[in-house]
Amino acid sequence: MRLILRALGHARIAWSGAVLLLLALAAAAAPGVAALIGADGDRVDLYQRLAPPSLAHPLGTDELGRDLLLRLLDGGRVSLLVGIAAALAAAGIGTMVGLGAGYRGGRLDAALMRLTDGIIALPLLPLLVVLAAIDLKKLGLPGWAVQSEAASLYRIIALVALVGWTTVARLVRGATLSLRAQDFVRAAVALGASPLRVMLVHILPNLASPVIVATTLSVGHIILLESVLSYLGLGIEPPLPSWGNMLTGAQETIGLAPQLALYPGLLIFLTVIACNFLGDGLQDALDPRARRR
Amino acid sequence: MGRILRAWLAGLAALAALGAAAAARPDDELAIGITQFPSTLHPSIDVMAAKSYILAMARRPITTFDAEWRLVCMLCTQLPTIENGLAVPIALPDGGQGIRVTYTLQPRARWGDGVPVSTEDVRFTWEVGRQPQSGLANAELYRRIADVEVKDDKTFTFVMNKLDFDYAAVNDFELLPAHLERAAFADPAHYRLHTLYDTDPTNPGLYFGPYRITEVAPGSHVVLDRNPTWWGKPPEFRRIVVWTVENTTALEANLLAGGLDMVAGELGFSLDQGLAFAKRHGDRFNVLFKPSLGYEHVDLNLDNPILADRRVRRALLYGIDREAISRQLFAGRQPVADSFVSPLDWVFTDAVPNCPYDPARARALLEEAGWQGEGIRRNAAGETLALELATTAGNRIRELVEQVLQSQWREIGIEVHLKNLPPRVLFGDSLVKRKFTMAMFAWISAPENVPRAMLRSDEIPTPGNGLAGENFTGFRNEEADRLIDAIEVALDRDRRAGLWHSLEALYAEALPALPLFFRADAYVLPRWLKGVVPTGHQYPTTLWIEDWRVAKDMATR
Amino acid sequence: MTRFILLRLLQVLAVLAVMSFIIYALIGLMPGDPINLMLASDPHLTAADVARLKALQGLDQPLLKRYLAWAQAALAGNFGYSRLYATTAIAALAPRLANTALLMGVSFALSLVIALPLGAMAARRPAGALDTAANLLSFAGISVPPFWLALVLILVFAVALGWLPAGGIATIGDGGFLDRARHLALPVTVLTLASIGGYLRYMRASMIEALRQDYIRTARAKGAGEARVLWGHALRNALVPVITVVALSFGSLFSGALITETMFAYPGMGKLIYDAILGNDFNLALAGLLFATLLVLLSNLAADIAYAAADPRITYR
Repeated sequence: MRLILRALGHARIAWSGAVLLLLALAAAAAPGVAALIGADGDRVDLYQRLAPPSLAHPLGTDELGRDLLLRLLDGGRVSLLVGIAAALAAAGIGTMVGLGAGYRGGRLDAALMRLTDGIIALPLLPLLVVLAAIDLKKLGLPGWAVQSEAASLYRIIALVALVGWTTVARLVRGATLSLRAQDFVRAAVALGASPLRVMLVHILPNLASPVIVATTLSVGHIILLESVLSYLGLGIEPPLPSWGNMLTGAQETIGLAPQLALYPGLLIFLTVIACNFLGDGLQDALDPRARRR
Repeated sequence: MGRILRAWLAGLAALAALGAAAAARPDDELAIGITQFPSTLHPSIDVMAAKSYILAMARRPITTFDAEWRLVCMLCTQLPTIENGLAVPIALPDGGQGIRVTYTLQPRARWGDGVPVSTEDVRFTWEVGRQPQSGLANAELYRRIADVEVKDDKTFTFVMNKLDFDYAAVNDFELLPAHLERAAFADPAHYRLHTLYDTDPTNPGLYFGPYRITEVAPGSHVVLDRNPTWWGKPPEFRRIVVWTVENTTALEANLLAGGLDMVAGELGFSLDQGLAFAKRHGDRFNVLFKPSLGYEHVDLNLDNPILADRRVRRALLYGIDREAISRQLFAGRQPVADSFVSPLDWVFTDAVPNCPYDPARARALLEEAGWQGEGIRRNAAGETLALELATTAGNRIRELVEQVLQSQWREIGIEVHLKNLPPRVLFGDSLVKRKFTMAMFAWISAPENVPRAMLRSDEIPTPGNGLAGENFTGFRNEEADRLIDAIEVALDRDRRAGLWHSLEALYAEALPALPLFFRADAYVLPRWLKGVVPTGHQYPTTLWIEDWRVAKDMATR
Repeated sequence: MTRFILLRLLQVLAVLAVMSFIIYALIGLMPGDPINLMLASDPHLTAADVARLKALQGLDQPLLKRYLAWAQAALAGNFGYSRLYATTAIAALAPRLANTALLMGVSFALSLVIALPLGAMAARRPAGALDTAANLLSFAGISVPPFWLALVLILVFAVALGWLPAGGIATIGDGGFLDRARHLALPVTVLTLASIGGYLRYMRASMIEALRQDYIRTARAKGAGEARVLWGHALRNALVPVITVVALSFGSLFSGALITETMFAYPGMGKLIYDAILGNDFNLALAGLLFATLLVLLSNLAADIAYAAADPRITYR
């Protein structure tokens, strides 16, 4: 029974990991595919609108005559980039906050944890709406970051990282608190290791598994969040494609061209569910208690 | 365990069984879907399409433009003209010219509570409009009316301190019921907070149209029932319900599911949604496409060094295939514009310089203006030919068009960055503060609307004038100023037409903006509904709701 | 215990005060102010009109001063006047809150009714058929874009089958129980599917943990029936941590469900706050956001207290 469980857990990791890897590879290969079929994902062709699948356009074209396959691959690159970059940034912030709070304790801990509480208490979506509408120029950011076409991309990554770190922070703080009391950490402190060294060399490696699990799960959440923000018109702006804004753009003509909504919707679903299964599988595999079973 | 599981499943099944057959709506009720909910029901506070649409069923203006774009009387009995003697030009003490215009209200017009609509209401409305603290829109109209002379209960004279060609048009003079609103106006600074239109919007005395508002559910719907005091032709439907569904996809679903009978063209489907809908459901619904005078264009900031060069502006226009966009994206429903005047307006002329799609010509013009090289062009100083195009985020049609423009401009070596902003940011910030480079949006106005605020050189918004004016491009042209002034006071139609044609030609020549299209709206109506006539201007179809009829041969709904 | 609650209550107030300032400042950072928007829609306003309107709304004052004035009024229960709804912010909020409470309350209850028993049963045989099905359900629920799910449900149940209304809260002139229930069915389904996953997985994990404990082995060894072991012994213990999670999520219900409300034209809190933010309705946005924040903080507090009360091992000084 235990063996089957383990195997199942690993099978889950294997297939969900494979799906994600495949999607990521496909997205990364977008320029290659573009060269291969001799199309340009940004090139509008008004006379080729909503064309059916053909050799030149394996999945047909979108409402502006662009190659749908390329748009999906490009969109995947953006969606995955947003998901992974924001999740990593959030994990980074969360780990630092959690480590600091858990190791130092006292006032710093209290202050950081109240901050975490506060951010958790904020209604997320309305807050993102406010943040997405903020005029970055009023914050004195340099012109290039505000002007560039990918500004909506950076903005969304920054926003999600800024509000998404709380889960990891709490996890890390809890784990740090218990690690700090363990013998090997005490020994290191007794041997005169600096706090920074203790945190980085002795505690951090032991935090890897919960952080990895939380980050994997949050990649999925963030891709979903991006689609929701795009739906609200606050996400990735055209002409940069993302699965979220492609899905949103397709909904008004869903009766006429259902494939435009079907593919991005399916890809979002597939990616998010794969992230969730991967995270869940990793949790089972990395959880020492699960291994004891 | 099994027992518990079964009980639990049974409970879930019972919940799921709640979906019974759809309840049918009564036959004499019409459910209309729109995409916006009015923020206030006061006719003169805030200008909002949803409010005009709803209030047009419950109130009527003194005058308005009809579906043929002629000025007509609604609440008045005869349109005053100089020829029929009801309008008399006068000399003003300051040496200028004014005019006295006399109107008579419909003798049987009564507010919903039975009180006659009278000249007392006219006078009261004028007082409210003149009071700067009351916060009413259309301040300009109230400033123009120097005095109101009351002759009797129904007849009054406006003394206008300006003699314009449209002297008889008082479309936005929205009568307020003096007998109800006077108390709320006791403290003018807080009138906005106390007006019965917001504190007691179902008070019958606030309305005098074919319907009156009987229920208001903020964010959801407004119910209108027949008004017993209505003087005109009795309307067909006993009840009208205007539902707000902001998401147009959900709006379509509600229509198909039968929760709505129709979707208003004024505030409904986007054009490509309407086109797709017509293709699939043309058998169940009538989809009318009406080009309007909504002038879609790209405002160019003339203070931008690149755009200051007229050759670049012309190249931008030569570089885009508006005909193809109109044909391929909009099935030819949105006519291409060459100036700001709609072909449906009587002052329109096609004798204006135009720039049809000609990429070779566009490239030559750019070369001439010093922008050269392969790929994205550069000038002698090494700067790239890069511009930013802003538009309203969430407007699907504009988002499609901007991507086509971007792609076509790239072909001729112009790099354009798209930047979509929420409407309130674009209109409330970028445009008024003139922080944009290029901006795509529309003007929507009345027929023969003089573009004073958009084109006159003293209407450029600056911090100095409190950002007033809508000349966002910074267009300064003495000839245009002169023409605008002359048009306003030209009473003779032929002379005025000539002036208009000159202004249109001048605009198309100078190109302070790139003309794109005249917007078309999709009116989605059930096949059994007759008599809905799209106007194409800012005054909604519901002003004639008493003409809406159920087709006799299609009694079954 | 009382001291602990009082202390935490004070903390809630402090966090709320800080949050109110942050929200206030953030909204102030948004571009465009209502006056400029009015300008854009009325070309005939003059410079004097603009200055007068700005003074009327206090927009000519510095941020901190405006905040303090607002906070003072808010403490006295005056959240000001909503620009969008032409009434006081509180009056605009109240009916929406009632709608949201109904929608979210029903879906919350339904999620629990489905998720908790299913999670508990799934835990009996991990990787069994029921567990796999429950797993799939919960993962699918949290992996599908909510507006997509809403769209599909509308297309299927309202448009194609015509069983349920596609939106709104009630039919005009009806509004009876059945009518309201029919209007709630689709939005509740979307919300429930999205929230089942979290509860279900938590319940399952907690139950597995509980079943592993010594007292279960003892009970089984004593020959207690399987149902009694599961429902009598394990469930009670497994519920303790679940209650905390449930209490934590309770507060967030009141900020509404923007996407679901938009798709189903349901006038609730989420849509209200969203419209207020995008419509530059400062007073309403502030009141709505603060109210939602307060409820989350209070339910966090409730979760802590519930935890303390349920688990004798935790003491608070």
